[in-house]
Amino acid sequence: MLGGYISDLEKGDVFKPVEYVVTSFMCSEYAHGSEEGSEFFHSAHNPAGRQVRPPTMIHVDKMRILEANCDKERRIAGMKGPDARVHYEYHAKHHSPAYVGDRLVVTGHIVDKYVKRNRPYLHYYLEVRTADGRLVTTYNDHTLLRYKPIGVE
Amino acid sequence: MSSKPVYKVGDEIAGPVRGITPTRIEWYDSAMLSAATNELRQVGSNIHTDQEFAKTQGFDQVNADGMIMTNWCSEMMVKAFGLHYLERGELRNKYIRPVHLDVELRVRGRIKEAVATKDGGVLYVVDVWCEDQHGTKLVDGDARVEVR
Repeated sequence: MLGGYISDLEKGDVFKPVEYVVTSFMCSEYAHGSEEGSEFFHSAHNPAGRQVRPPTMIHVDKMRILEANCDKERRIAGMKGPDARVHYEYHAKHHSPAYVGDRLVVTGHIVDKYVKRNRPYLHYYLEVRTADGRLVTTYNDHTLLRYKPIGVE
Repeated sequence: MSSKPVYKVGDEIAGPVRGITPTRIEWYDSAMLSAATNELRQVGSNIHTDQEFAKTQGFDQVNADGMIMTNWCSEMMVKAFGLHYLERGELRNKYIRPVHLDVELRVRGRIKEAVATKDGGVLYVVDVWCEDQHGTKLVDGDARVEVR
C-alpha cells in the first residue's frame, strides 16, 4: 500500500515517479562522503568530459522515491517508521552514465514481499532514465524490514 | 582511465583498506541526505549512528551502512575499469554480516571470467567482496564490465 509506512508496501505496488535535475553539488558531495576521489564525480576534467553522477547514487534515488510514496515514513525528512530497515542486497546495472545537468526520472515497483528466516523483506525494482528516455540504471534491491525476528519485541 | 584495461582470469584488483569509524559512518549518511536534498545536511539518530537506538532495533551495537562498503567496491571498479564501468558496468553486493566499528575493512576483487564479445570487446566477470582484518567475509558480491 502506498501512502503509509515502508513496511506497508506490498507486492505489485507501483511507485509514483520522481524527477530531479542532477547538480554538481549532489555528485561531488555524495562522492566526498564515501571518500571517492575519482575526478569523474567532482568535475568535467576526466575522460568523459563531463561531471558524472556516481552510479551508486541509485541508492539516493531509492530514498527519493520512498519519500514521495510513503507519507508516514519520510526518512529524508527525519520521520522514522516502527522499525529500522536494513539493506540486504544492492544490484545496479549501468546502461549509460548520468551527467550534471541531466533531468532524471525514477520509476519503480515492489517485485516481492517475503519472509526469510522469520524476517520480512521487500524486493524493489527501480529504473532511472533521462527525461528524454535514455536508460541510465536498472536496480534490484532487497531490504530487511526489521532486524528483530517476527514476534520478537 | 579511458584506454582499454586488460586483465586475465585470476588477476586481483586492489580496493581500499579502511577502518570503520563513527566519523566515516556520519560522512556517508550525511552525504546521502545532502545528495537527496541538494543542500548540506547532517545525519541524525539511526542504527548506524546511535548506539542506544541500534539496541532497540535488536543490534548489539551500531553498524556501518551497507552503502559505505558498496561505494568502496564501486571505487575499486572505477579505478580498475574507468569509464567502461560507468558506461557498461554492473555491481551486486550482499551484506552478509553487520560491519561494526573498529573493523579494518579490506575491499577485494578477482577476475573470475574474461569472455570475448562479438564486437571485439571483453566481458569481465569479477568476484567482489569485503573482509575484515581476520579474513572473515562481511560483504559478498560480483561485478560485470564490458570493455570495448
